[in-house]
Amino acid sequence: MSEPAKSKYRVASDKPFLIGLGVLAGSYLLIIGAMVLADLVFLNYGDQLILGNERVQQGRYVESAVPIRVEAGRTYHFRLGKNEVGLKHEGQMLAGEGLFKANTYEVQLQPRIPKAPITASLRPEARVIGIALTNHVATLTTDEPHGLLWGQFIRVHGAGAGWDGVHEITDTTTNQLSLALPEATKVAITVELTKPNPLVQALRSRDIQFSIMLSLISCTITTLLSIWVAVPIGYIMSRFDFRGKPLIDTLLDIPIVLPPLVVGLSLLILFRYAPDWLSDSVVYKWPAVILAQFMVACAFAVRTMRVSFDQIPQRYEQVALTLGCNRQQAFWRVIMPQAKGGLLAAATLSWARALGEFGPILVFAGATRQKTEVLPTSAFLELQAGRTEGMLAVSLIMIGAAVIVFLIARTLGMKRIFA
Amino acid sequence: MITLKNISIRQGGFELSGVNFTVAAGEYGVLMGRSGCGKTTILEAICGLRAIKSGSIRLGDEEVSGLPPAERGVGYVPQDRALFPTMIVREQLAFALVLRKQPQTQIAARVNELAKLLGITHLLDRAPDKLSGGEAQRVALGRALAHRPAVLCLDEPLSGLDEELHEEMCCLLEHIHRETGVTILHITHSPSEARRLAGCHFQMENGKVVRDEA
Repeated sequence: MSEPAKSKYRVASDKPFLIGLGVLAGSYLLIIGAMVLADLVFLNYGDQLILGNERVQQGRYVESAVPIRVEAGRTYHFRLGKNEVGLKHEGQMLAGEGLFKANTYEVQLQPRIPKAPITASLRPEARVIGIALTNHVATLTTDEPHGLLWGQFIRVHGAGAGWDGVHEITDTTTNQLSLALPEATKVAITVELTKPNPLVQALRSRDIQFSIMLSLISCTITTLLSIWVAVPIGYIMSRFDFRGKPLIDTLLDIPIVLPPLVVGLSLLILFRYAPDWLSDSVVYKWPAVILAQFMVACAFAVRTMRVSFDQIPQRYEQVALTLGCNRQQAFWRVIMPQAKGGLLAAATLSWARALGEFGPILVFAGATRQKTEVLPTSAFLELQAGRTEGMLAVSLIMIGAAVIVFLIARTLGMKRIFA
Repeated sequence: MITLKNISIRQGGFELSGVNFTVAAGEYGVLMGRSGCGKTTILEAICGLRAIKSGSIRLGDEEVSGLPPAERGVGYVPQDRALFPTMIVREQLAFALVLRKQPQTQIAARVNELAKLLGITHLLDRAPDKLSGGEAQRVALGRALAHRPAVLCLDEPLSGLDEELHEEMCCLLEHIHRETGVTILHITHSPSEARRLAGCHFQMENGKVVRDEA
């Protein structure tokens, strides 16, 4: 007896589809999240000791271990290289990176492979051995070269009122550094120094303070200008048909398609033909920063505004016209209230674009500290100077600024007209 | 009174020419025709939303073909109603009056009057996305009537409504017509709807409008 085939209709499970969606969306989000997290984790937020010269001499392992002379009672910073197993100290093996206090006169580097180059690092803490105070300038002498530069910041502890806190270094020699102290401060008996973390260094630096200010101000001006231009262009492109419209459409896209660097170069060349008074007051000055940001950011604002006007049917304007509006009244009373979301999107997009703009600013405005330095320029200058931590600190400031501005924009955007 | 004389309109590849018809003052005109035959185009030309190539449009005693839509004194209800999404019902009804800078008290009185006429007093503070199809239609009618136009242009006002609402809306339109004495031009593609409505009927065929005397 054969059973009749079951004819019940079944659909395949939705699971693969949903999992696919989740995996694809999630993988991108994961990369973004991981990127930001890596920056956050990489930075050392604690204060660091002032370290002296390298004690490990360059060379190769000849015998089984390399002895290094240390001073008992002093703190050392050890970093393991890729050819070492660790550092032998009082029978214990130190591996990895960190501080330890020496109790003997000798430690030994244990190689992983014989005859390989020595790659570990061992640096002693630098101690303050001399304190002098003249005309409210404290000059501290260290027993080891401190490696700090003029303009960096240092944290002083354990010295008493007037001394403790973060100070800017006003002068340095190999073993000395000077700080300005408030008036009526007495000479301290003991002083301990640490390097404040890179975020504090960056936020206290006048150059970076300037670049934060310039970035925030120039981005805001750029956004206002972009909106001011993008709304009429978007409206015209969305509502009117005229000869040469495809050409204008293409022209509007040029700043989006061109590499930003080329936009800067084109601006620079354009200003060769401008009258002297104009090019003198723009090129390599702060107006160039705004103009360079504007050229790129505005193109994105125009796109966004055009799409949002396209999404509003012309019917609304037509009805408004029959009810007694002229075109201008119809625009302000009926169209703009509906385009609010698009306006907000265009504003945030152009603000974000302007904040991240680097290439055209470098070419058209230069990278002069305290003059045309914006946050991306700061990051670049820090990287060029070999201060990865400083660059990361600037990046974190940028991420922070962007997050704050977007949160504000979102909350304002969330305020619906109808609660 | 709506008088169209020798109207020709060209719109892309579509062309209407030699359109003539008259709806007498206070009449309820129903313009019938297949979808896509140009009914809406004629309505838009009357409202001033579409440029005409030649001919003349008279509303009442005035030649309006050169006037902007705002100065024609028409009320326009498009097929999709197009209620302004950012305004509550009260603001929609007051829109034309605010533009005419009428005093607040007068506007409030007119809005209440309209709301009563259309039975939407309880909806005055609603947003348009919270209205049903029939309610939205009433609001659109109210908005178009607020400035007391001499002519009311309705583009398929009964489409998209269910059977029951259909009848209700027919009665409402007749009621409005009686109460306000406005000249109405009502466009429809449905012969049964046209039969249901009293007034004079026009048939649009092959680009011409013929008065249906039957």
